[in-house]
Amino acid sequence: MWWKILAVVLLIYVFIAGLLVPLKPGLVRISPETAKTGQSVTVQFHGYNTFYGKSPASEIRAWLEYDSLHATAAADLKVLSDTTLEATFHVPVNMPHESSTVMLNAILDHPVDGVSLLPGALQLVKDTVPMVGAGTWVDNPVSRLHIVKDFSYPYRNVIYESIRNTYFHVPMWFALIFLFLASVFNSLKYLRTQNIDFDRKAVAYAEAGLLFGIMGLITGMLWANYAWGKAWSNDIKQLMTAVALLIYLAYFILRSSFDEPEKGARLAAVYNIFAFASLIPLLYIVPRMFASLHPGATGNPAFGSQDLDNTMRLVFYPSIIGWTLLGFWIAQLRIRYQRLEDRVVGID
Amino acid sequence: MFVKNLIILLRKEFLLEFRQRYAISGIVLYVFSMVFVVYIASIKVQPQVWNILFWLIVLFASINAVVKSFVQESGARQLYYYQLADPVTLLLAKIMYNTLLLLVLSTLAFGAYSVVAGNPVKDYPLFALIILLGSLGFSIAFTFIASIAARANNSATLMAILSFPVILPILLTLVRLSAIALRLIQDTSYKRDIINLLAVDVILITLTFVLFPYIWKD
Repeated sequence: MWWKILAVVLLIYVFIAGLLVPLKPGLVRISPETAKTGQSVTVQFHGYNTFYGKSPASEIRAWLEYDSLHATAAADLKVLSDTTLEATFHVPVNMPHESSTVMLNAILDHPVDGVSLLPGALQLVKDTVPMVGAGTWVDNPVSRLHIVKDFSYPYRNVIYESIRNTYFHVPMWFALIFLFLASVFNSLKYLRTQNIDFDRKAVAYAEAGLLFGIMGLITGMLWANYAWGKAWSNDIKQLMTAVALLIYLAYFILRSSFDEPEKGARLAAVYNIFAFASLIPLLYIVPRMFASLHPGATGNPAFGSQDLDNTMRLVFYPSIIGWTLLGFWIAQLRIRYQRLEDRVVGID
Repeated sequence: MFVKNLIILLRKEFLLEFRQRYAISGIVLYVFSMVFVVYIASIKVQPQVWNILFWLIVLFASINAVVKSFVQESGARQLYYYQLADPVTLLLAKIMYNTLLLLVLSTLAFGAYSVVAGNPVKDYPLFALIILLGSLGFSIAFTFIASIAARANNSATLMAILSFPVILPILLTLVRLSAIALRLIQDTSYKRDIINLLAVDVILITLTFVLFPYIWKD
């Protein structure tokens, strides 16, 4: 009983914290997006969740960064509103390394908002006519940054607010694996004992696992629609997930195609164990052989240290526990329902 | 004892095949028909398409060849075998026999396919190894699934829906490896794929031996 209350409490916490905690301030874009060497350019910074007006312009610093050793600082900085500010840069005449065009990162340091970074923000083109400009590349320039610690989620370009989907999409797969493991475990026990109750449990856990798989696929498609531009892009992860769900649909069809329920239960238990073993290469080996847009595709773990910060962990781990417990709760209801139905029919 | 039984059972499979020649000739004809359908449907076959179509032909021919290994003999006779020999020995004999059968079938398919659709294979030793590995993987997975499907009411449909998802990792790895043998993609670290394939085979065959005793009992 206590774990059902825990599931409810954790999920309420996940929904409230997951949806209400704000993102950290960040840079959405800068304009103009191109500049020439030797030019003086006035760049507008557009921020998200920022409060530029909260501190005087003299304390705000901005850079255009070439690499970790070379950057040029803003000469003049004006705050237009809480989400826009204007900075003038004197772009140096020469590039640190010889190239015709290069992407510069924009970095903004604000005493209240902290640091925000926009990678590849500005395209710097080498001017063919040599000019004499005032600007220079400063060595090891970006330092003494304001690191603001507060309860907020990281701001990431491309995914923005959809980072909250981490608490819904990812736990579905954890719950699915736990439920399928429980299903396989009960199938094994059924084969050893021939006790029909283990078969009921195996079916119920597989059903709940399938439900979580479908939910995981749907939340993934919503996220893909936002971050990849299309809900279904035939990504190898999506395809393999669909195939994995087909395996379990086949399991239910196999169960129902026997005249004697006892025989169906036994062969379905065998197939369940066999299918789970082939699920592992399907979800963890095959996707790494193909190019994929999904995090964790090319050999790295799906969740590296840069994907989760400490604030997110505070919601992410409870969400895994909460959703998994909810899955077991759903399965439990199915098991009890099936027991009653079997008693009415007179099987048990 | 085990080896002796295995040899007797293997001999039984060959004898059975030899006496019911219509089954094996049917499968061989099936392969040739598919090859010609592919040729007629797409006169000029690009190497990429050649690769995928070849494995599809082998896949369907394998399913049809293996499904009969449990369906062709009646339930009563199967029960009789199980009393005479250890079920696991029986299954091993069937897997070994099916591996050989699929090896012959895929070689035939390759020959016929090369004649009508051209032969883009560049690395023959690798391609031969892939065909061997493919026959082994298909044989293990399909023999086991056939033993389950043969006991159900709609075995032909079940055979397809149960085996396709299970065979997919093997099939994708085979297509990828044979693309390397056709020099369609450059990959010097394909040995890892071969090891993956062997690992999947080992997992499947272990499970097969553990689980088969629960299947044959009625």
